[in-house]
Amino acid sequence: MAEKIKVCTGNFGKGAQDIAVYKKLGGYANISSRLFDLSQFEVIDLVQRSGLRGRGGAGFPTGLKWSFVPRNTGKPVYIVVNADEGEPGTFKDHFLMIEDPHRLIEGLIIAGWALGSRTAYIYVRGEFLPCIESLNKAISQAYAEGLLGKNIGGTKFSFDIFVHRGAGAYICGEETALINSLEGQKGQPRLKPPFPAVSGAWKSPTCVNNVETLMALPWIFQNSPEAYAALGTASAGGTKVFCVSGDVKRTGVYEAPLGTPVMELLTSSEYACGIDGTLKGVIPGGSSCPVLLPEECEKATLDYECMSCFKTMFGSGAVMPFNTTRDVVVLLNTLGNFYSHESCGQCTPCREGTGYAKRIINSILNGEGHDGDLELLLSLSDQYNGTTICPLAPALGAPMTAFIKKYRSEFEAYIEKNPNHGSPRICATYRPGAFW
Amino acid sequence: MKKVQGAVHFVANNKLSFERGPSPVELYPTPADQLGHHKKVQPQPTMEEILPKLETPAMKARIADLLSRYPEAQGALLEVLWLVQEALGWVPREGIRYAAKVCGCSPAHAFGVATFYTMYKHAPTGRFLLQFCRNICCEQKGASNIIAYTEKALNIKTGETTPDGLFTILQVECLGACGFGPVMLVNDDFATNAKDGKLTMIPGETLTPEHVDNILRWCYAREKEFKNEPVRDALGGSVAGHLGHPGAPGASAVAQIFDYAPPSPVLGLKAVSKETGVVLTWKGAPEFTRLVVEREEGGSWKEIGEPSVKDKEFTDPNGRSGMNYRMIATSGDRVAKPSKEEKAV
Repeated sequence: MAEKIKVCTGNFGKGAQDIAVYKKLGGYANISSRLFDLSQFEVIDLVQRSGLRGRGGAGFPTGLKWSFVPRNTGKPVYIVVNADEGEPGTFKDHFLMIEDPHRLIEGLIIAGWALGSRTAYIYVRGEFLPCIESLNKAISQAYAEGLLGKNIGGTKFSFDIFVHRGAGAYICGEETALINSLEGQKGQPRLKPPFPAVSGAWKSPTCVNNVETLMALPWIFQNSPEAYAALGTASAGGTKVFCVSGDVKRTGVYEAPLGTPVMELLTSSEYACGIDGTLKGVIPGGSSCPVLLPEECEKATLDYECMSCFKTMFGSGAVMPFNTTRDVVVLLNTLGNFYSHESCGQCTPCREGTGYAKRIINSILNGEGHDGDLELLLSLSDQYNGTTICPLAPALGAPMTAFIKKYRSEFEAYIEKNPNHGSPRICATYRPGAFW
Repeated sequence: MKKVQGAVHFVANNKLSFERGPSPVELYPTPADQLGHHKKVQPQPTMEEILPKLETPAMKARIADLLSRYPEAQGALLEVLWLVQEALGWVPREGIRYAAKVCGCSPAHAFGVATFYTMYKHAPTGRFLLQFCRNICCEQKGASNIIAYTEKALNIKTGETTPDGLFTILQVECLGACGFGPVMLVNDDFATNAKDGKLTMIPGETLTPEHVDNILRWCYAREKEFKNEPVRDALGGSVAGHLGHPGAPGASAVAQIFDYAPPSPVLGLKAVSKETGVVLTWKGAPEFTRLVVEREEGGSWKEIGEPSVKDKEFTDPNGRSGMNYRMIATSGDRVAKPSKEEKAV
């Protein structure tokens, strides 16, 4: 069997944090006349042809996003790397940045050339201090080698990369919240439009890309966009770095082509080596994606289209299987706590609604549930959609609906533990705002 | 888990509270509850007490470097707050005021920012801040047992500091190391075990009570080794060679010139022979100002037309299949290299 092509994780465990090693492994080969002979339009066209889609969760085509950035407006263009990886279950960027920081820098230089940017910020979440240290060391080395700074490679192109340390807020993973945080404000999302590509950081055109998206660029340039597109499915090219956590024999970060069957990722000896116990369900793309039942997993493949067929999302590639010993009510309770804690407090349906859902799930778990609670949760979940600026509340609503619909009997068993479950809820804690 | 008593003190020094009586709903403690918000009034140092630690030459140089990175000084606010926390161990009110002054924003704005993010500590913590992830993957793998074990081992509750000032326990949301779950942060380092005098996080080793013991032992050994905890650079070390953001104070950078890259050629040219002639299609770029279509005749190229830059196609009525075409784009006063030659089919 031929060796699998690794686009982003090829240098793992080879000491590529050092620029000399990275260059020996073929790094920075693109930052030469090869890149500098191409016009901006050609680079964007090349990325478009590769079929690369954003790897942060939404899956927006990267080349298309870049083509929206206006040129020659007199304002600077910013590239912001979204390394605020907070989605529960996702930990790929953490290890991508620690193991291979130079690949990110190389990808950034390519993006900077294509977009006419002078300044890039890497927004790393505050908990990832080891990543920041690794990045800063790599950036220093790149400056020393003349790959960053003024007039790179003898051209008139100048480029700087700064690392910005966040301070602990899940919501800053949303691109407009991230831009607000970069500007030194509270990380609260902004209304769109205007989209960041037109008016983002400091009202200038801003392109926000995920770490993994940018790290795929060096490979695409080294080989060809057609080769990258051929790795994936018809509508989305390339490979994806999957983070497998939970009840499998070997958790970790695995790179696989798009379109890999879910069960292959979980059971193949190349990847997670099999499930611990009996499979009860899989959360396929990070905590905000609806759960898949085992029989759905047998059929599902890991790509954008198949996941939307199963009414779930491909997300950030965090595959979280859990076995029959796990209690779904406890899992949903954890999610309720998480989203209500991380709501930025800007929109009422989210600020009050996530806390409301959390209190109801909490009371079900504590054996104080009532009949009709599940319908209430489902109707709450419907009301999150489209009523908030950012998708944080729907990100709780979607898994909540799926958990309740797919494991309803377990929730009902919990509710029946309450001797008065037939009586209506008249407790003061039931109403929204009772917390205050 | 604790019972919320309905008393909410947003500001530790503020006497304001909303007493609504006890609520029977059990809630997890949040980091905001745990340090400084719902607690009793935290004594605050004065500006005179903290200034000697903040206005050192090294700190001034670092702040100047930070300010040169952003087009507006306020961009550095999060980073300056980190520096304050590094110097003082926590972010007192006057530290926030200092950061606001440096970044040219109002103290109220800086206070809002400092209380929005969970990693700024509004009260002093123990020398080792143990932050446990309690999110879905870690919970699934038994985070609550580990937290309960640690609380029992240190004889404190989440959010409290041991009397010797060594340990503070916090429960936080996803730490981004889910494959290793349950995980914890010891100050700024991920740990699932401690071996040979080092904190480790290696695959296959999750946090078990024995590993927690190892980590606590590591902390005690470090306490013996260093009198004070060595200061860790809150911004992950310095970078030499930055030019800064154009126009920012102390930056030597100038704005990117527009035409550093070669002009764009016409891409994706296709020539299809139809009854009306040869129809050419191509991809337009916003920067084009003039387009020229050329046809090969007897070994040389002859200009046959000039479509508008907004046109999507061009028809050559005299064209036949088998003829070669190319296009030349102009952007401003720069002429791009000719597009790929395309044979009409």
